[in-house]
Amino acid sequence: MTDLAIRLAGVRKTYGPVTALNGIDLEIERGRVVAILGPNGAGKSTTLNAVLGLTRPDSGTLEVLGGPPRAALAAGRVGAMLQDNGLVDEATIADLLRAFAAWYPSPRPVEEVLERAGLTAERDRRVLKLSGGQKQRVRFALTLIGDPELLIFDEPTVGMDVASRQAFWDELRRLAEDGRTIVFATHYLAEADAYADRIALITEGRVVAEGSGTEIKNRVPGRAVHVTLDAPDATAMAALPGVTDLDVEGTRVHITSTDADATLRALLAKHDDARDIEVGGVDLEAAFVALTRGEKVS
Amino acid sequence: MSALLRLEVIRLLRSPQFLMYLAAFPVGMYLMLVKVLDIGADDPNADPAAVMVSMATYGSLGMALLAAGSIATERHSGWTRQLAITPLTTRAYVIAKTLSGLFVVPLALGLVLLAGAFVGEVRLDALQWIEIIVLVWLAATPFAVLGVTIGYLAAGQAAQGLTVGLYFALAILGGLWWPTSLFPEGLRPFAEASPAYFAGSLGWDAVDGEPVNLTAIGGLAAWTVVFAAIAAWRYKRVAAAG
Repeated sequence: MTDLAIRLAGVRKTYGPVTALNGIDLEIERGRVVAILGPNGAGKSTTLNAVLGLTRPDSGTLEVLGGPPRAALAAGRVGAMLQDNGLVDEATIADLLRAFAAWYPSPRPVEEVLERAGLTAERDRRVLKLSGGQKQRVRFALTLIGDPELLIFDEPTVGMDVASRQAFWDELRRLAEDGRTIVFATHYLAEADAYADRIALITEGRVVAEGSGTEIKNRVPGRAVHVTLDAPDATAMAALPGVTDLDVEGTRVHITSTDADATLRALLAKHDDARDIEVGGVDLEAAFVALTRGEKVS
Repeated sequence: MSALLRLEVIRLLRSPQFLMYLAAFPVGMYLMLVKVLDIGADDPNADPAAVMVSMATYGSLGMALLAAGSIATERHSGWTRQLAITPLTTRAYVIAKTLSGLFVVPLALGLVLLAGAFVGEVRLDALQWIEIIVLVWLAATPFAVLGVTIGYLAAGQAAQGLTVGLYFALAILGGLWWPTSLFPEGLRPFAEASPAYFAGSLGWDAVDGEPVNLTAIGGLAAWTVVFAAIAAWRYKRVAAAG
């Protein structure tokens, strides 16, 4: 008996000359909410497709809920929402949910799932007439209908408006509270930081960092300095001692520095308009950039 | 699987334009042949009842082929991917597609037979009518399976082109447009072993009052196996490439 929901060990997958997964190792415990974070083309989708049995790895070990991926799916223990999956245009939302419910051993009631996905009012509308965001909610509803213990989402909020997005994360939190394992791929750092209790950072088909958001931030040396100036000059800021990264937003300057003390002293010596100074650890975005540096980031 | 079949039926019945277009063509051809071109008036090769059976068969095969052939579109749209992440098996999906192909056959079949009975003045025994309906319907089976096969052979526009191309080629080769007796001597053995010829033979023999053509049924069963084998082989290739 394992308490791992997902285990990948040395999984490789190549498409012709392209290496999508380069011996990836990843262990996801049951009951966790895990974000798979990485730039486009890092191997996030391939990882999820392998977990779902849609992609057969060239080599390596892959276990889902203690067995092969197809067995977990066939038993109705996995629900997944993938990008741009097709639906039946002529069917209504309720038609689709009723059909899907029939394939799972212990489905949730259709009406409950409609409500959870915020689709009660649209239940009898045909898929053809739905907006992109509504279709995404339908895919979410189809993920919930089988009452799965492992839920997998590939870039779930792409194409959702702000309200849908918020509703989605609220619902995900409820699912996590029931003890389900949730894995989502995203390239939004804020989503990973806010909603996952663990983050696996993937670049070029391998996990380069894994842990809580705080642990990942702590892996990157340096401090973040935030300061407001009347008229920030990016070139002058970059020339300050210790500065490795710089971001200017209007009058607010965000500096990543290997020596925050030296940076601040030099800054204050030259700019007596400097105010609202904050010094802290680097944020996840800076950690992300540092940990994936030198790799292709698009 | 019954849940999937229900979705298939919903899909077909709520997009009737495609079906009506497909079903209108053979009945239109039939009316043109018997009413406008007055075929069979003094041509022993063209018995109006046999022409009716040819066009009914032609329409039935097309319905089965194109309805089941929607697999190609669904692979393109990602619907098959959506199904692949459920407990549903590919086998159930393929069987549902084949059955949905057969489900729509009566539309084309019925239209041509009605035109034959009421416009073409074809007179047959009740038993002959029933025999024609049952046999031509069943004869569409290898074509529904061929639709599935094409779905795994090609994708999108290419699959549509391939489907329509094969449909016409097999219908002509099988003697549904012109009797194979008019074909060049060298072509006839091939034509008379082709699936549409076997399908047509069942109906032509029923019109002639012959006993059920067991050779044709055997031939159709063999073609069904051949098409299914190609589909299975292609499906493994497609799945492995995933």
